[in-house]
Amino acid sequence: MISTDVIIVFVALFVVFIGLGFYGKYWRRGDLNHVHEWSLAGRKLGTALVFFLIGADLYTAYSFVAIPSGVFAKGSLYFFAIPYVMLTFAVALVTMPKLWTLSREKGYITASDFVKDKFNSKTLAIMIAITGIVAELPYIALQIVGMQSVLTVMLAGYANSQMVQEISLLIAFIILAAFTYTSGLRGATLTAIFKDILVWITVIAVIVIVPISIGGFGNAFKAASSSYVTLPENLVPAYATLILGSALALYLYPHAINGVLSAQSAHKLRSSTALLPLYGVGLAILALMGILVYAVPDAMKFLSGFPESSRGILVVPSLILYSLPGWFSGVALLGIFVGGLVPAAIMAMAQANLLTRNIVKEIKPSLSDKSEIKITKLSSTIFKFVALGFVFSVPATYAISLQLLGGILIVQILPAVLFGLYTKVLKKTPLITGLSVGIASGILMMEMANNFGQLTSSLLKTPLGPLYIAVISLGINLAISFGGSMIQRRCDKKSTP
Amino acid sequence: MSTRTKYIILALLILIPSFVNLGVPIYNRNDPELFGLPFFYWFQTIWLFVCTGFYFAYSKIMEKKS
Repeated sequence: MISTDVIIVFVALFVVFIGLGFYGKYWRRGDLNHVHEWSLAGRKLGTALVFFLIGADLYTAYSFVAIPSGVFAKGSLYFFAIPYVMLTFAVALVTMPKLWTLSREKGYITASDFVKDKFNSKTLAIMIAITGIVAELPYIALQIVGMQSVLTVMLAGYANSQMVQEISLLIAFIILAAFTYTSGLRGATLTAIFKDILVWITVIAVIVIVPISIGGFGNAFKAASSSYVTLPENLVPAYATLILGSALALYLYPHAINGVLSAQSAHKLRSSTALLPLYGVGLAILALMGILVYAVPDAMKFLSGFPESSRGILVVPSLILYSLPGWFSGVALLGIFVGGLVPAAIMAMAQANLLTRNIVKEIKPSLSDKSEIKITKLSSTIFKFVALGFVFSVPATYAISLQLLGGILIVQILPAVLFGLYTKVLKKTPLITGLSVGIASGILMMEMANNFGQLTSSLLKTPLGPLYIAVISLGINLAISFGGSMIQRRCDKKSTP
Repeated sequence: MSTRTKYIILALLILIPSFVNLGVPIYNRNDPELFGLPFFYWFQTIWLFVCTGFYFAYSKIMEKKS
């Protein structure tokens, strides 16, 4: 059982967090009855704030839970997260300023807005909105799993811990829903800065204290097995395609595009994107925790009390609890807890934008500005609780599985959104076909790779070695989108002599 | 600097780091170790700083261009 000082520090900092969330409403005041004011903070965020906001998209429970858990269970393969974030910013540097400029000129708030305008196709725009909303849901669920893991470690040994945990999560979500409703993206940005400060203090403390106390990294690698030291030769194709597929997917997620569009200028967006790989250093340290924990006997003993499948997600909180001084682990644990909460808010907000602007408004074009913002705010609240209900009803490992599937789905909108920025050759019908076939083939390959059972792997064995399914299905999608557009153009030329 | 050279430099600033990131065999080795950390891990971590340098140069040159 953990001591009360951890809990006191944790709760006290959570109160500060709530205060910042509500204060967001008054910060850089704007008329929050406009969608772009509420969900893009009035497009006024400078270099540093965009850095924190997009950093919050990256430093999610994905880094606290999924990556260290993967490194803990499977070793070096999951370190792909580091080159992945480096590559994703190269993609973003080239493409996102262009999307920002177009959005500013034409008033787009979502990627779907752009696609509808560019290809003059409601069907394609609605399909892209639905893909975004669906892919985002398991991502939010993953955030909740991360928060749950902190509570599990904190409450271990107390009576009724399961019930206390669920009630705490519910309270946290009601508070979150309340301040996103009133403050919009401003509240999320302010709390993102607070969260980042806590997380950075934590990772620096861990990387200094733990290696010293266990007598160097070498001992941790000795305690783990050999597939942790370097990447086994047969996994090289898997590593490279995981980097590529994930890097192409990240900036297609609605919440990432939402963050991009809140920048004040294309230049400020570019400079903050250029600095974002620095965030990866924290991610690298978190990933290494999956190995360091092997050399901390107390933490390993604690983990052995849980079933093998759920040990991974508890790695980071238990390493923190058993290697940092008592009150300080309260700071660190809260950092991880709100590290799930803030991204969940941003993601639900991005989903709500898509639902209102690109689905509801398409069906009912007469929607007034006032009803638009009302529906956006309400649906962002509903999405949060849908994700929460999802986590309460299915085992945590499923949430991680579905997140893998989410990446494969979202990458399918790449031809329309990213290539659409640069080329005029693409046509709507081949894009719609490509998107549908991409999604269908992605899901099919995912099922094949897992023998139609529970989804645990997103790698398909091919003659070239195991490959990340997102890359294969995107390849099929691109071939259809470009090939089909070329054929259509030739046919059009023939019919108009 | 002519516009053409500028474009080549801009392209290289993006392509070089990307080539290294995707060229897994370049860094998939154990030696030399650093503080007991295999090359595989410390190289990728340090490469984050180098990447930031490349990207920052890219963003500065783009700024001058416009």
